[in-house]
Parts: sequence; C-alpha cells; structure tokens
Amino acid sequence: MKRDPIYGIMAEFDSAQALIDAAKLTHEAGYKKIDAYSPFPIEGLAEEVGFHHDEVPLVVLIGGIIGGLTGYAMQYWMSAVDYPLNIGGKPPHSWPSFIIITFEMTILFAGISAVFGMLALNGLPMPYHPVFNVPRFALASKDRFFLIVFSSDKKYNPAETRRFLESLAPRSVSEVPS
Amino acid sequence: MNPATANHLDLTAPPVVKKISQRSLVVGVIFSVAAVAGIFAFPNGRDQFYRAYLLGFMAWLGVALGSMAILMIRHLTGGGWGMVIRRILGAAMRTLPLLALLFVPIILGMKTLYVWARPLDAIADKHLREHLEDITKTYLTTNGFFVRAVIYFAIWNLLSFLLSMWSKQTDHGGAPDNTQRFKAVAGPGLILYGFTISFAAIDWVMSLDPSWISTIFGLVILIGEVLSAMCFAVVVERILFNYKPMSEMLKPDFVHDHGKWMLAFTMVWAYFNFSQWLIIWAGNLPSEITFYLNRLSGGWGSIGLVLAVFHFAVPFAILLSRPFKRDIRKLVWLAVWLLLMRYVDLFWIIEPNFSKTLSLTWADVVVPIAIGGFWLAYFFRNLGALPLLPAYDPSAGEVLEPAHE
Repeated sequence: MKRDPIYGIMAEFDSAQALIDAAKLTHEAGYKKIDAYSPFPIEGLAEEVGFHHDEVPLVVLIGGIIGGLTGYAMQYWMSAVDYPLNIGGKPPHSWPSFIIITFEMTILFAGISAVFGMLALNGLPMPYHPVFNVPRFALASKDRFFLIVFSSDKKYNPAETRRFLESLAPRSVSEVPS
Repeated sequence: MNPATANHLDLTAPPVVKKISQRSLVVGVIFSVAAVAGIFAFPNGRDQFYRAYLLGFMAWLGVALGSMAILMIRHLTGGGWGMVIRRILGAAMRTLPLLALLFVPIILGMKTLYVWARPLDAIADKHLREHLEDITKTYLTTNGFFVRAVIYFAIWNLLSFLLSMWSKQTDHGGAPDNTQRFKAVAGPGLILYGFTISFAAIDWVMSLDPSWISTIFGLVILIGEVLSAMCFAVVVERILFNYKPMSEMLKPDFVHDHGKWMLAFTMVWAYFNFSQWLIIWAGNLPSEITFYLNRLSGGWGSIGLVLAVFHFAVPFAILLSRPFKRDIRKLVWLAVWLLLMRYVDLFWIIEPNFSKTLSLTWADVVVPIAIGGFWLAYFFRNLGALPLLPAYDPSAGEVLEPAHE
C-alpha cells in the first residue's frame, strides 16, 4: 500500500480556549478527520473534534458478562461435577455460595476489559506516530495546544487547508510528514 | 454581585407547591379517618393498625433521614448535583419534628407491637421466654425504649436544626461563608446517623422478633433510607422542573449524577441484603434462619423474589444506561417505582413477624397513605417556605451558570 507522504497539517495554539474555538470552526468548515492534542484533558474538546461515541462501556459490559458466566461455570464444574464435597449438608450446587466469586470475576473481567479495551480502541501501544516528526510537537506535553487535519480527510487540500488553519490565528502551522 | 439577580431568576418555589401541600393534607385527613374506622370495623383492627403504622412510619422516616444523610454527604463532597436538590433535601429533613410527634402512637401501641413489652408469662415457647427474661432486664425495657427514642430524635433534630439555620443565612446578601461549619457538622453527623439509625432499627424493627439477631440489619435499613430519599428528591425535582426556577437550574449533568446515586444505592441495598442472607443461609443456625424461613414460606417467598428482581435486578439493568440516567422525564418513573419497592421491602421485613401466610390488610395500605398525606403536606409547606436555592452560598454559581451545550 502506498502511503501518503504527508500525514496532515498541524496548527499550534496558545490556550485551551483557542484550541476549542479552532476545533469547532474546523469541524464546522467540513473537516471531519481532525484531532487535537493538549497537555491536560479539556472538557468539551472531544465533542468539538466530532468524537461522540465512546465504545469502552460496551466492551466493559461484555467483559463483565463473560467474567460472571466464567466464574459461575468454574464453580459449578468444580463443586458439582469434578469434585463434589459435602459442606454443611448443603447440595453440591448451592448457588448462594457461588455468588461472591461470580461477582468478583465479573468485576475482574470488567476491569481488565476496560484497560485493554481502551488500549485497543486507542490503537495503543503505538511505537511510531507521525505527529512527532514536527519538532515543536514536544510542547504538547508542556504548554501548547495542537490541532491537526489529516490528509485522509475528503476536504483536504494542501494549500487550501493550510490557508484555512492560518485564518484561525495560530502560533504556527506545520506540515506533518508521515 | 448575586448571580441569581444577574440571571434575572426568581428563586422562590412555584405556587404549585402550596397546592400540593393542601391536597396532601386533605388526603392525610381522609385516610386517617378511614384508618381509625378500620380499627373498629375489623375484628383485630387494632393489631393491624399498629403494624401498618410502624410500616408507614418507617417508610416516611426513611425519606426524611435519608435526605439528611445525602445533604450531609453533599456538604462534605460539594458538587452541583447536591446544590440543585439542596432545598428539597432540606425541606424533607425539616419534617423531623413532625416525625417525632408521629412516633407517639408507636409508644402507645408498644404492647400490641412488641412481644417483649408484654407480660412474659403468656409466652408458650420456653426457650423464647428464658431468652426474653434475660434481655428484658437489660436492653429491651419499656423505659429504655422510650429514652433511646428521645435520644435519637434529639440528635436528628439538632443536626437538622443546625444545617437548616446556616443554610437559611445564605439566602440573603452579606451572608457568612458557612462551608466550613457545614463540613464540621456533616462529618460527625454522618457517623452519628449511622449509629443512631442502627440502634433505632434494632429497637423499632428487629426487636419485633427478639430472638433474631443480624449485625448488618441497621445498615440494611440505612441504605433503604438513602435510596428512598434520592428517589423522592428525583420525583420532586421532576414536579418542579415544569416551572421556573427549577426548569433553568436542573441540567442533564445533575440528573445524570442523581441517576448514578440511585444506581449506587440500589447496588449497595442488594449487597447488604445478600450479605445478610448469605451468612445466615451458610450458618443455618436455628436462632437466625427463622427470619428467612418465615419470609420464604407461606407465600412470603414470592414477595422476596419480587424484591430480588424488581428492587434490584431490573432497576440495576435499566440504570446502566447513560441516556436513561440523563433524562429526568424517564428517570422519574424508575424513582417512583423504587419508592414503591421500598414500601414492599419494609412490608416484607415487618409483616411476616405477625403473619405466617402472606396477607395484605386494609390498614397496610390506608395507614401509610394517611401518614404520607400529613408528611407530604408538611414537606411541601417547608419547600415553599424558602427559595429553591441559597443564592448567596459560594457554590450557588455552579447551578446558576448556563449549561455547556
């Protein structure tokens, strides 16, 4: 597969508010494949870059259900099938005593699903990312705010997109090589 | 400058509050007459009346005390979710003097309700009689019951008085910042609430079966109370949402938080009840298991199943949905449902002490509604007496600023 030599165009801003406003205008201008980078989480920014559907809860729910079923099935097999023991005269398949482990396994699987689901959906770990080809991008971990329009966007046009980003009064605009 | 006047928002409660108060009073009077008529109309009407009275009293006391607990949690944690319902919780809390008065019939009906308050010679069961001869000399005495009740109500009303007094001060300009005072009372207050409600639950409910002991029982009652209170606050905020100023103040983020509380309390309710059940079921001791044997036989088992499914499983599954929790128009229906389930839960805890088979008497329905009528009349009167938001509280801004979207 042939890769586009240009990953996108990136604009640098001074404040969180400037980034939110720029993201909003860019999204409204019709650019759909955009992303934003900031040194700290900014409330409302995800919505402005067009990110609405968080799929982690669904992954957690599925993980939790699988965990619960696994926990119950495991205990059923151990206590009622493989090695039945008479405990306090209770039947080998005594559901009340299975509930705690079932609950714990639900929480364990849900928790693990949350972590790995989040990593998978974010595409992590990612040893190489083109945005770091811009030297100034190192400031995104410090005190600068970045907005990128990806070259894969339908509306992307090297000259026009650059002109548009410059109209948002950024501190700098750079092309990101992939 | 006061943010309320900046937004031109009148914070007084809408007139509908007064109307509901008056109608509740009418309902209270009519159902009281019906309840008193029931005492004479049925052969054991007196017995039925007192059982139902205890049920109704515990149900409405739960809303008032739970509101006080949630209010104290808010004082410790802060947050707009608590500011927006603060005056609803406060109005419910300030019904505690009425509830102290409503406790008088339980004192009067003590001998009817509690086996340990009656002469012990009449008890046929030898083991129970010997057990009671011991315990009625030390803890379960008539005077002790009375004195402890006075102490509980004194503590609750003192907490309520302090929290209300400081809250009222922040309705006017130039008010002191009472945040630290609230914190200083709310922390110890929550601990005091935990202890007093545990003792009260033992005295008023657990002692109905004096041979039965469960150390988590106080917490079972406590969590039911805070769940009732959160559901009640959601219902009242829904009513007020039709009018200004609540229509301006109540944002989806706050409703979302109220839904999260309902989910958390529903889960803790199930957790405490299951813990009690698991330990007693596993131990299977004659002195403990009778509680569940009585409640799982003679038709009572079906009520237990209803509770497991409709007090926990179904509300839990529904409350997992984020859009559902954010929409007050939907959330309110689950809140109403859970309030009904709270009644069923208390019914299932109290009534099997008196009846081996499932029976719902005329009094079980009429008396809780009668108490509720008076309680709601007083609650809505309290709600109308103060603005719906203490405008000069430092955190009032969170509620008054416009929504993000």
